[in-house]
Amino acid sequence: MGKIKKRWTLLVSLSMLASLLSGCGGSNNNAAEKNNSDASGGNASPSASEATASKEPLKKVKLTWYLVGDTHKDMDKVMAEWNKMLEKDLNTTVDLKFTTWNDWQTKYNLLLTSGEKIDMIFASSWADFYKLSKQGAFLDLTKLLPEYAPVTWGNVPKDDWGSVTVGGGIYAVPNTNPEYTPSGYVYREDWRKELGLPEFTDLNSIEAYMDAVKTKKHVTPINGLVYDNVNVLFKSWNDFQMIGGNELIAATSYDTPRDIQIVPFTDKYEAWVKKMKEWADKGYWNKNSLSSKQEAGDFIKTGQGAIYWRNPSSAGGFINEVKAKKLNMEIGYFPFTRFHNYVMPTLPSSNAMAVPKSSENPERSLMVLDKLRNDPVYFDLMTYGIEGKHWAKGKDAKTIVIPAPGVDLNETPRFDIASWGWRYEPNMLKEEGGWDGLDKLKEEFKPISKPDIFGPIYMDYDPVKTELAAVNQVFEQYGKPLMLGLIPDVDASLKTYRDKLKKAGIEKLLTYVKEQSNQYFDEKGIK
Amino acid sequence: MSTQVKQLAKADAFKGNRIKQDKETIAFNIIGYTLLTLVSLICLIPFWLIVAGSFTDELEIISKGFQLFPDTVSFEAYKSVFSTPEQIYRAYSVTIGVTIAGSLLGIFLTSMAGYVLSRKDFAMRNGISFFIYFTTLFSGGLIPWYILMTKNLGLKDSYWALILPPLLSAWNIILMRSFMKSIPESIVESAKIDGAGDFKIYQRLILPLSTPGLATIGLFLALGYWNDWFNANMFITTDSKYPLQFLLYKILSSAAVLQTNNGAYLAANVVPPTETLKMAVAVVATGPIILLYPFVQRYFVKGLTVGAVKG
Repeated sequence: MGKIKKRWTLLVSLSMLASLLSGCGGSNNNAAEKNNSDASGGNASPSASEATASKEPLKKVKLTWYLVGDTHKDMDKVMAEWNKMLEKDLNTTVDLKFTTWNDWQTKYNLLLTSGEKIDMIFASSWADFYKLSKQGAFLDLTKLLPEYAPVTWGNVPKDDWGSVTVGGGIYAVPNTNPEYTPSGYVYREDWRKELGLPEFTDLNSIEAYMDAVKTKKHVTPINGLVYDNVNVLFKSWNDFQMIGGNELIAATSYDTPRDIQIVPFTDKYEAWVKKMKEWADKGYWNKNSLSSKQEAGDFIKTGQGAIYWRNPSSAGGFINEVKAKKLNMEIGYFPFTRFHNYVMPTLPSSNAMAVPKSSENPERSLMVLDKLRNDPVYFDLMTYGIEGKHWAKGKDAKTIVIPAPGVDLNETPRFDIASWGWRYEPNMLKEEGGWDGLDKLKEEFKPISKPDIFGPIYMDYDPVKTELAAVNQVFEQYGKPLMLGLIPDVDASLKTYRDKLKKAGIEKLLTYVKEQSNQYFDEKGIK
Repeated sequence: MSTQVKQLAKADAFKGNRIKQDKETIAFNIIGYTLLTLVSLICLIPFWLIVAGSFTDELEIISKGFQLFPDTVSFEAYKSVFSTPEQIYRAYSVTIGVTIAGSLLGIFLTSMAGYVLSRKDFAMRNGISFFIYFTTLFSGGLIPWYILMTKNLGLKDSYWALILPPLLSAWNIILMRSFMKSIPESIVESAKIDGAGDFKIYQRLILPLSTPGLATIGLFLALGYWNDWFNANMFITTDSKYPLQFLLYKILSSAAVLQTNNGAYLAANVVPPTETLKMAVAVVATGPIILLYPFVQRYFVKGLTVGAVKG
């Protein structure tokens, strides 16, 4: 037994060494992994980790996991319970750490670049997953997954694995919980009814509503910070699909992904800013709306505003808050998906778990993740907290009540950590008393769901970073006031804006974005 | 003529002799006192706004802005700051402990370094001075520093990560060196003749002679330690080791995250008021230092002026 143990340790360290030597999870690494599976092939069942676990006692291992965001008051108690189970089942304990929300991006990058010993970390497209995996921050899991996370390997759809595949290797385990976060407006439904206005369907009905709110209620419809509220409406109404995370270059619609243009140079943009000038002059928002620090939603709560941009889930949060504070107003929600009747789910890679290169026990870490995702006992504990304390069983097996009866939320706040990385839809529980609109919207979105073909385009702006910086400068200075109609003369301002953009080198940027996007579209076979 | 009288009156007032003041002086004093009182009140208003703001209802701030006297008094912000009181108290003790330990150790090391570099019979003083000065021009950057702290020194999640980095600064050492240069060399020589060793000279003669300088450095160090949140942000991962400033910063940022990212199922969660929370956090963070200030102020003023003149 001791001999096997020794050999195993040796092989693990060898594979570590190999992965260190190979720059970016190349062939050396794969070879080492092959050796590794050969070694376990010495046992009766090489493929199933469960079987391996029962045959060969696992060495006691302590793992370090990192999540983004904040820890919870009762995290110690939850971890104690979790570690008790893990120790029994997998002879493992996990030390769970959090980045906290302050400067989390800096810390996140430092954790990975400094090569700190971490066995698993939350990964996401919005946390530079693609960039970091190209730079070799994560371990290639392709060979390890079938063996050490067989259940997950089986139940994650092929497309989802595709979205975390970078340069032929799988660098993370995506969560399997389709979420829809399209843009939409939260608005005062009671006012709409009172003023006898039609329901929102298009731009005209929204304009009619704003007009009535302004003239009859004498309330500024979009109060406070306005830019995003107008910009999302602009993008959704015209179906511009921004590419590569910048605000100026977009595909003209979902159906024409290869028709990529500079947004401010289009006719649609010109028509739009003319309309916005009209809206601004009519007082749909204030003159200081670019410098205001207050969210538009805050003014809805005080009765001084009527419209606020939100995605469905945070719209629900907003509605619940209004209800909880007994503000005596009815809030409606209108998703912009109804303009074009399709919705893109968030990328599977927007919430995932990855194994950093520095991990000493990637195999065990994957085994723990496999258990966490797929065993409801593990899943519920780490996602919802301790039963009877943070939550209680609801009327059926799929629902829960938060908080558990007799528990004061001020004493034990709801268990809420960044558990997004291991979510798996069949294990997710529904909360009683949440916003019922969300479920209705989910039903509405499911049939019109289309895959996100723009999100995964990885854009390394390094070759054009001077142009990008200059263009962003121009956008801040000229683009934003133009979008909000806060200029005396639209035609003159638009002309200046376009000239300045050209001077800043936007065409070079466009060429680069086109090149990168087409490369991706070719690769994925998208017309 | 009148100015002469005023000067005389002033001089007499300083001596403590009361003589009859003429009308002009009285008028001057009245105007002077009123103006000064007004100016001090104006200086106090922002502080009062912060305090009043922290007790205002969140929705009132959004609808009416900050007011000197709120319509409805609310303790919501303090409730969220003190939602886990034991954590605040622990953070206070961490901050106080780190500030005291760090300042004392820092004063000791800085004055030693300054003294050594100020001695003319130390041959390498220019080289070493340059070496220290050089670090103010260039820095390795965040990543090497982080790697040094966590991997090479193993200071992740240790109180030393809070104490060590601000301990010695090139600026303080140079300040101390030039201050000590003003102490006549002959004092050192005479002590040597009397048979004192180097450490004895430093301890018995140099330290007492440079109290104003030490007070200045001490003030810089103490304020630095009290306000430091960045080191905790980078290196501390256990809640119970958070110093006050970082804990408060964390409360603020997680409130902001809750405000913008709360999900549909967050029905039951208590959303803290962000606007008033900022004010409450400012009050909690500055409170003790403001209370402490009147007691130690005279040392600070003296130390700063002397340090400024001679440094």
